[in-house]
Amino acid sequence: MPLADFDWSFIWANHSLLLDALVRTLKIAAIAIAGSFAIGLVLGAARAYRIPLASQFAAVYVEVIRNTPFLVQIFFIYFGLPQVGIRLPGFTVAWLSLVVWGGAFNIENFRAGFEAVPYRYREAGLALGFSRISTFFHVSLPIGGRIALPPSINTYISVLKNTAIVGPAAAYPELTHTASGLIESTGRTFEVFFAIGAIYLVIVWTLSGLIRLLESRLALPEEAR
Amino acid sequence: MLGFIPFWVEPVARLMATEGLKLTGKIAAVSVSASAVFGVVLGTLLTIRWWPIRSAIRLYIEIWRGLPIIVTIFLMYFTLPTFHVVIEAWLAGAVALSLWGSAQVAEATRGAVESIPREQHEAAAALGFGWVGRHAFVIVPQALRRLLPPFVSLLVNVIQNTTLVALIGVGEILATGQRQTERLQYPAPVGVGDSHALAIYGGVLVMFFVISFPLTRLAAFLERRLV
Repeated sequence: MPLADFDWSFIWANHSLLLDALVRTLKIAAIAIAGSFAIGLVLGAARAYRIPLASQFAAVYVEVIRNTPFLVQIFFIYFGLPQVGIRLPGFTVAWLSLVVWGGAFNIENFRAGFEAVPYRYREAGLALGFSRISTFFHVSLPIGGRIALPPSINTYISVLKNTAIVGPAAAYPELTHTASGLIESTGRTFEVFFAIGAIYLVIVWTLSGLIRLLESRLALPEEAR
Repeated sequence: MLGFIPFWVEPVARLMATEGLKLTGKIAAVSVSASAVFGVVLGTLLTIRWWPIRSAIRLYIEIWRGLPIIVTIFLMYFTLPTFHVVIEAWLAGAVALSLWGSAQVAEATRGAVESIPREQHEAAAALGFGWVGRHAFVIVPQALRRLLPPFVSLLVNVIQNTTLVALIGVGEILATGQRQTERLQYPAPVGVGDSHALAIYGGVLVMFFVISFPLTRLAAFLERRLV
């Protein structure tokens, strides 16, 4: 029985290695989440309000990213771009590919959020003398952003899970790449998977719980829908 | 007529289409079928109001949906052999994709089964069906209609995620492309002494886009039609 010699002390002996890797995972995830938030907000608004050029660009960008595998996108950036002289280090590839991927998914979240804001609300803002820009910041953004928040956190969870793909693919030592290195050098398969599996599940379950909490807290009053 | 295509393209494209695409298709087909069957059964069982079953299935769903798919793939690839389960790497990948896919389908099935009105259960019970017959012949067939859009989305996701098995050395389409890229970098006669990574990975992107785009359109269309 392979589980019989499960060695808890092995996890403790390597805890600083795994914690460093976790910090790297969280670092690229944080950069990627911030980047996808910015892209989602700006291009999502461009889509919802049909801003010429930006809207068409966003539409094409979303379709290309959503209809191609994330790993192939990483390979294209990491192995393909050097051919035209763009050589990016693993860390840059890691956060950049995640920003590009998460941004595309977030555009749809924010587009749906802004489109869910009833037109009469913006009409009311304009009637009160707000400019189109202030109407966006004072009416559409608070309401639409509130609608878009829970689904966008879902995208951020996926971004965090995708750090596990970008590590092994671009040789960046985040949690999963570090773990597979540790397995290859020590053969302690179960201990390593137990440790990283628990870490991922705790983070993902916490964030999913946060979504459920926000969904009930941020739900708009019935009459506002 | 096709004289503008460089000579190295033909053997690369042929290998990727005959070996890579075939294996991609095989992994996707196995994973989607297994996900659909296990997912519908688990999702239907999840509607039973008996806590041991519910919590066991709930745990299954939350674990396999919560873990990054690549971690599950590594987990199957590294741990199955220690249980003396000898399977090929592509199958270990397909098992991992099926665990994830069945968890997705189970969650969707639960919603679809619970959306079938109570009268359908009562009518089926009145006709003398037991729990199994009622669900197999009356409830689940109706729920399947609502599951069609999520099934198409699952198909797209599984097809895209088959590329992840390239990281455990399975020669599906991306890994085939990678090996050909590396080969071409050698001087002739092995390769052409030049990198064509951009064209090859770009080609893989185009190939997946051509497969996925119609399917995501179909999923959106079904969503509008059936809901």
